[in-house]
Amino acid sequence: MVLQILLLVGLVLFSVLAVLLKDLLRAAISLAVASLLLGIIFFRMNAPYAGVFEISVVAGLITVLFMLTIALTKGGETAESKAASFAFPAFFVLFIVIDAIIMKKLIQKVPALPGPEEAGTTFGQVLWNARTLDLVGQIAVIFAGVFAVLALFRKGDNKDE
Amino acid sequence: MNSTWFLYMFFTAVLLFTGIYCLLTMRNLIKLFIGIGVIGKAVSLALIATGLAKKSVLAAQSLVITYIVVEVCMVAVALALIINIYRKTKSLDIRQLAKLKG
Repeated sequence: MVLQILLLVGLVLFSVLAVLLKDLLRAAISLAVASLLLGIIFFRMNAPYAGVFEISVVAGLITVLFMLTIALTKGGETAESKAASFAFPAFFVLFIVIDAIIMKKLIQKVPALPGPEEAGTTFGQVLWNARTLDLVGQIAVIFAGVFAVLALFRKGDNKDE
Repeated sequence: MNSTWFLYMFFTAVLLFTGIYCLLTMRNLIKLFIGIGVIGKAVSLALIATGLAKKSVLAAQSLVITYIVVEVCMVAVALALIINIYRKTKSLDIRQLAKLKG
């Protein structure tokens, strides 16, 4: 449990770094490290498939996409407001204190309602039998994404420029 | 619900706060999407933690995988939009987009 808490603290730490770092490349790498830690947390929570997806897709593919965009938009750095960065630690600590108090009060107050029966015994059975519509939705979303990117990078009709 | 679930919910709330703070205060478009990524991590962690507490990790995993696929498509489209905005305005500042007249 101690290792799990350390991993969760590291996840929060690298997420905060990703938000606060001025250099966009370093921020993207911090986000990738946070994804890696989240993947390890998933492995330790008996969710290996989610962990594999988190590490390979979110820590790998999305980071590459971010880096590509940062490289393609070089020179577009914007000055962030200084007050926001300076005020963050105060707000963060305040939120953690409020969060800890609320969670401590809520322990044992939230009733453990019975969960739904597991539809299968293996991950494949659950994904393919109980969640078939999700897979159809995923395919639709992937196609929508591909067509949207193709439409955005279409050549030949830039009359406005 | 057991106390482990509350521990995970505590960290989920902290991650959500970080992401929402980023969305509210930052001006760089890429930074805003990093904030959305942080919120996405909080959502995945909440799903798996609740699945673990309710002893249905398999269903929670399939939901998280669906979410990850949606997130990849969203980030791809959003980054393509950001590149197009950069080509048009030569800037990544979100305030540039508030000007309706060129």
